Amino acid sequence: MSLIHIENLCKEFKILNRREGLSGAFRDLFSGDYRIVEAVAGISFDIESGEIVGYIGPNGAGKSTTIKMMTGILKPSSGTLQVNGLVPYDNRIRQAQIMGVVFGQRTQLWWDLPVIESFKILKEIYKVDQKTFKRHMDMFNELVGLNALYSQQVRTLSLGQRMLCDIAASFLHNPQIVFLDEPTIGLDISIKAKIRSLIKMLNSERNTTIILTTHDLGDVEALCQRIIIIDKGKILYDGDIKKVNALFGAYRTLKLQIDGFNESTLQTLKTSLTGRFGSKDGFAIAQTEEFWTDVTFDQARTPLSDVLNFVMTNFAVHDVRIVEIAMEDVVKRVYDGALR
Amino acid sequence: MRSYLALLRGAYMVGLVYRFGFLFSIAGNIIYMSVTYFLWRSIYQNRETLHGLTFDQTYIYVALGSAVFILLKTYVDWQMSFDIREGMVATYLIKPIDLQLYELFTSFGFFLMSFSAITIPTVLLLIFVFHIQIPLGIGLALFPFSLVLAYLLSFCFDYFIGLLGFYTESVWGLSITKEIIVTVLSGALIPLQFFPDAIQKILLWLPFQAIYYTPLTMVAQSTLGWEIFLPMLSVQIFWVIALFTLTRLFYNQAIKVLRISGG
Amino acid sequence: MHSLRDYLRLYFIIETQYIKARMQYRADFIVSSIGMFFSSLATLGIFWVLFNSIPDIAGWTFMQLVFIYGFYMIAISPMQILFDHIWQIRFHVQQGTFLKYYFRPLNIMFYYMSEMFDLKGLTQLAAGIVILIYASIRLDLTWTPSRIALLLLTLFSASLVQISITLLAGCAAFWVLDAYPVLGLAWKLREFAPYPMNIFDGAFRFTFTFIIPLGFVAFYPSQLFLQPDEVSPLIYFSPLVGVGLFAFTYWVWTKGVNSYTGTGS
Repeated sequence: MSLIHIENLCKEFKILNRREGLSGAFRDLFSGDYRIVEAVAGISFDIESGEIVGYIGPNGAGKSTTIKMMTGILKPSSGTLQVNGLVPYDNRIRQAQIMGVVFGQRTQLWWDLPVIESFKILKEIYKVDQKTFKRHMDMFNELVGLNALYSQQVRTLSLGQRMLCDIAASFLHNPQIVFLDEPTIGLDISIKAKIRSLIKMLNSERNTTIILTTHDLGDVEALCQRIIIIDKGKILYDGDIKKVNALFGAYRTLKLQIDGFNESTLQTLKTSLTGRFGSKDGFAIAQTEEFWTDVTFDQARTPLSDVLNFVMTNFAVHDVRIVEIAMEDVVKRVYDGALR
Repeated sequence: MRSYLALLRGAYMVGLVYRFGFLFSIAGNIIYMSVTYFLWRSIYQNRETLHGLTFDQTYIYVALGSAVFILLKTYVDWQMSFDIREGMVATYLIKPIDLQLYELFTSFGFFLMSFSAITIPTVLLLIFVFHIQIPLGIGLALFPFSLVLAYLLSFCFDYFIGLLGFYTESVWGLSITKEIIVTVLSGALIPLQFFPDAIQKILLWLPFQAIYYTPLTMVAQSTLGWEIFLPMLSVQIFWVIALFTLTRLFYNQAIKVLRISGG
Repeated sequence: MHSLRDYLRLYFIIETQYIKARMQYRADFIVSSIGMFFSSLATLGIFWVLFNSIPDIAGWTFMQLVFIYGFYMIAISPMQILFDHIWQIRFHVQQGTFLKYYFRPLNIMFYYMSEMFDLKGLTQLAAGIVILIYASIRLDLTWTPSRIALLLLTLFSASLVQISITLLAGCAAFWVLDAYPVLGLAWKLREFAPYPMNIFDGAFRFTFTFIIPLGFVAFYPSQLFLQPDEVSPLIYFSPLVGVGLFAFTYWVWTKGVNSYTGTGS
């Protein structure tokens, strides 16, 4: 029996079609004029113990709705959802005992209290026995030097330190599942690395299942073996990251600033690139920002250096930026069948 | 000057948005009017007058008092404490406006909104639901002026508390204390005639009575005549000038503190 | 699962830490306590001024009203001290931060309310106790152990009434965008609780007894001690009103909590 079992899960919301003005607001109170929004439209997957799963998708895709159902906050409209054999919504408090949740932007710790006091309170809440408590606290200290932060109030910590504490705290009671939502948002590279290794070590130490929702591809690449991509309430991809990795890793967007750029230059750019490098589908060219032209292509098919060389030689390029493909684009490509 | 008028209009618009809040304010006011009606009716059960006031006079005073109370609430102290917390005061110092005038005009828009949404309905209720006759005397004509002066005074006190907020984090305690002091000592809840003589004499010397006692008496006992009202009005004007001056001086001091501590 | 003992113990641990942390802001504590002290006594001050000129209001003497006032202040203290966080709920609900309270194996109301412990409310409680004792001495009331037990019972249920009224108003935040005015109104209403109910007649007395039972916050329970021989059967309903109203409030709260979905998708 899988730890998390989801079959044909659906969640609909009734959204009131709001009307304008004061009289409209009054009429809204008695209105039956709703539209149904399908946030989650029939998804199915199973997750076993010890997996680290990346759950990604653009904003509004239905990620948080799924997580809220898994954590027992929202009641599904239809379908099967079982966590550790129980239905989350009917067993919120019981499920909370085996789960940990971390939000990137908001702390779950007590704002005005010293770090160690937060941990002590959690010990009481989750009924962690003294031996386990000590063992975990020592482990946290070994992994990220938590002892140094003990006496500091949570609100005085830097964002990175706070995240480390939040993540450690979520593992304190030995949960079977930990939900991490944007754990590295707004953090610099070195702290990100620290946090990723903390998560990895906690997962291997205790075989904790981890479900990671993030827009940061670096997190996903570093931690997940399996990813699930969701968009518009449906699952687009559920499988090994390596297969998608090539897609992620290979695409690049070349941002160019070309002197004297205008509509005809855009056309010339398009025709010359496809002429030089082959099939039209390989290149997506657009002006997304003022003065910058984006050229997106598959690096696996056409080496970056070749494209760069060509463009620099034939156009008056005076500035260049190279960026990874955005998550939205990845999903768009998956949706367009790029993985089949 | 045009920019200040624009502030006024802006605040009036914001007031329109808070119609839900106003609805509840009116509801609260109606309840207050009803409860105090019963209270005073039972007090006047066996007597015609008390301290020279009839039931009608006292009730007009008290009922209008609550509407005026809402009207004169400027929230300037809260607004300023919020601005400080958000670090926005620094932006005021950069702009070519005077902080005191800025706060004044912003809150005055709310005053106009309150007047139309609460004060006027209260008076209508008094006349048509509670069947109270409001005496038609010279006081009624002077009432609007007195009210504006009272507003300026109320503003000064709130502004003062707001300035104190530059020095200390704790606005709530100061604000509540100020509110209690003003409410009790100004005759907002009870006409000053009810206070023991010795205390009454002291209260009449303080600026607080100029906020509530003066304008409310002008309506409740509007037939008292020029000889009574003119001095009252002058006292109000005196206090307005005095307090504006004092708060301006305090402002100059407080700003120095703000510059040091970083806004 | 947590037993009642677990919750009490947990509450003790959390609040001791909370108070320790708040004591840093000593100036704020002192100023707020002073403010609270004055605001508590405002209505009493008005009564004092009134009684300067008249011997009684609706048959009640000044000392009797002081007793009721003391009772009132004690009864509203638990609301002030333990449930103060309700004033912030509209912010948490609107910004989505309220979701945080769903993830621990704790009762959500407990978890939410435990985040604030209003120290200045203790000033109110202390003042209320002093006033109540003073009035009962001046009124020459007799206190037997059973009467004291009755007093504690009625204070408890009266405090539940106050808590319920305020929490119900706060629950509006789950369904309405601008819930502050509702709380504001509930707050204003509480000022009338120390007034003697017999100044009202008809519809108002009915409202304040059965619809928004302010009368049960101080007036009706006080009757048991001020006029024990003339007590109407209504008074013995007091404990029921408190418990029943709270049960209803908790039901509404649960409905609100279950219907909340946070922001975003």
